[in-house]
Amino acid sequence: MFELPIQQLIFLFVAAVAVFAAFNVILQRNPIYSALALIITMCALAGTFLMLEAQFVATMQVIVYAGAVMVLFVFVIMLLNVRTEEARQDRVKYLKLVAPLLFIALLGEVIFVARSVTTTAPPLATTGNEPAFGTVESIGEAMFSSYLFPFEATSVLILMAMVGSLVLARRRTMSEAETLGKLIEESGKPQLTPAEPVAKLEEKKEEIAA
Amino acid sequence: MQFSNLNLDYFSILPEIITALAGVILMLIDAFSKKAGRKLSPMFSLFALVATLASIIALWPRASYTASFAGMIVNDHLRLYFALVIVACGIIATLLASQFLDDEALPPGEFYALMMFATTGMLMMASAGDLVMVFLGLETSSIATYVMAGYRRTDLRANESSLKYFLLGSFSAAFLLYGMALTYGATGTTNIEGIRQILIAGKVIYPQMLLVGVAMMLVGFGFKIATAPFHLWTPDVYEGAPTLVTAILATGPKVAVFAAFLRVFAEGLGTPTAPAVGAQIYDNWINALAVMAAIGMTFGNIVALAQRNMKRMLAYSSIAHGGYTLIGFLTTEYAPVGFYMLTYALMSLGAFAIVQMLAREGDAKTEISDYAGIGFEVPNLSFPLAIFMLSMAGIPPMAGFMGKFYVFKSAWVSSPNLRWLVIVAIINSIISVYYYLYPIVVMFFRPPVSDFTKPRLSPMSQLALAITIIGTLYFGLFPNGALKVLQQKTPGAQQVAVQK
Repeated sequence: MFELPIQQLIFLFVAAVAVFAAFNVILQRNPIYSALALIITMCALAGTFLMLEAQFVATMQVIVYAGAVMVLFVFVIMLLNVRTEEARQDRVKYLKLVAPLLFIALLGEVIFVARSVTTTAPPLATTGNEPAFGTVESIGEAMFSSYLFPFEATSVLILMAMVGSLVLARRRTMSEAETLGKLIEESGKPQLTPAEPVAKLEEKKEEIAA
Repeated sequence: MQFSNLNLDYFSILPEIITALAGVILMLIDAFSKKAGRKLSPMFSLFALVATLASIIALWPRASYTASFAGMIVNDHLRLYFALVIVACGIIATLLASQFLDDEALPPGEFYALMMFATTGMLMMASAGDLVMVFLGLETSSIATYVMAGYRRTDLRANESSLKYFLLGSFSAAFLLYGMALTYGATGTTNIEGIRQILIAGKVIYPQMLLVGVAMMLVGFGFKIATAPFHLWTPDVYEGAPTLVTAILATGPKVAVFAAFLRVFAEGLGTPTAPAVGAQIYDNWINALAVMAAIGMTFGNIVALAQRNMKRMLAYSSIAHGGYTLIGFLTTEYAPVGFYMLTYALMSLGAFAIVQMLAREGDAKTEISDYAGIGFEVPNLSFPLAIFMLSMAGIPPMAGFMGKFYVFKSAWVSSPNLRWLVIVAIINSIISVYYYLYPIVVMFFRPPVSDFTKPRLSPMSQLALAITIIGTLYFGLFPNGALKVLQQKTPGAQQVAVQK
């Protein structure tokens, strides 16, 4: 009881950091702090991957998630200039009461699963001449043999996601500008701030909804 | 692993290759010639989809359980049949798309490309032999449809619809993925046939983990087929998205998700005689789905009664139809699900197409009251709409009746435990007649609205309408051909070795 193996100690530390930081992500009011807490979660997860002998995944976790993706997150938050979450009235109040109940239900489920898992997992089936588990070599081999087709299919997925985001974010076309222009003319105010067409559109939407 | 074990059978993924390539080429057409693209893109999409259809038919004699690409792709009758329905939906949607894009003056290139990529994802779902492929296919088709829902960017309703669909869709995808991860942890494989073998052999490593994993996958799939209680997104998304996109959302992806759902649950987890946890899981998911089917039908139909917007009404009706389909699902045979999806896809595409044409620019007129008295003004639209409504209500001789009849009959025959569901479904069908007849009454027996002008109908839209009408009547009167195709069983289902 008193001689906890060093791995277990490290795991407990890393796991505690990950959970604490994950709570911090949702509890912080300032989105920048949330993003920073998310970076800590990612790094802590990288630690757990490392302990599962998945060195390559751990490295990728740090480089891609904690590095590239989170830098993008922070950039976007700063560019949008969001400071703190605006306090606003919740439309459905009872959700505040239901959400924790559902959270507890999900937590119960996870504990139910975790209790059933024994620490003496069956060893992975190996033939002996495979590269060591978790190395770049073994991942490369899996990626270009059994997972060849999913690997290629992912490229289609990413290409399409790129096209999709461009479609949604590109400049206004002439016709879209005309639509907005018409709405502006209808409102009868030639000197418009950029926010006004949107307000006009919202009015129109309410008319339709009514 | 040796390359010779992988079975790199490129012919078996020909449909996916054609659609993915066509998506890339469509973007290139748009990049090099914007003007010609408006005419060329729909033609090229149609050409590619017909080629895909041909490749699926060419694959038919090769149907077998031997999986290719290390178990990732299964080429059996389930896959081929559902792929056929998916591509047929794609062809009808493409025919309708050109008028939609012209009327709304939207850029055409990306729309067709996105539709092609969505079709690729749906085809991958139908052919997936592995949970990894199911997820990739699902994401590919979902992301494309999220963007299509927001394609009309100046429309706030469409933006809301797109965002709502995206957020809830990602949330449900997370559930599905978590379920898959737990299933992998519990069985040690992501191969669907492999999971089945492990269940039959009773070698599940962590039974509790498998139970939770399966429950989470059920939530993920339940969301995507919009069955109650995971349907909350449907009415808002269907109403807000441009009507043509709603038509696509309600048909193709739903058909594809049902194919993957069948593959994972009816095949992978359809093990009633397996020892211990195998049989328990089978009982659990059958019971859960039975309850979901009953809630879906009842809720969908009763709420649809109160709807005064055509698109919302069709959204609730699609929730109800999802419930009917689940009854067929519970027989764990793919034939009832497949036939119901075929009939549902035809009549839904037809109905949404007419709503699209009557709605005009910006989907301005989608209230049922907007249809007052138009029955004899535009008989070429009102009579087809009446046919689709009657078909959805399940009135013979339309396809909707045959679909329902076949589902109810197979459920009644296959298991006495399902008979209560069939009775619930029949009561529900009777309730649904009221709201399906309501638009017909409004169209033909109300005084006409004064400012009605006849909508324009492009030749391609007319062709699409003709296909859906003929299909709805044909499968209602002569369903035997389709049923014969559906009852083909892939030979050698029993002697399948676990891939890997």
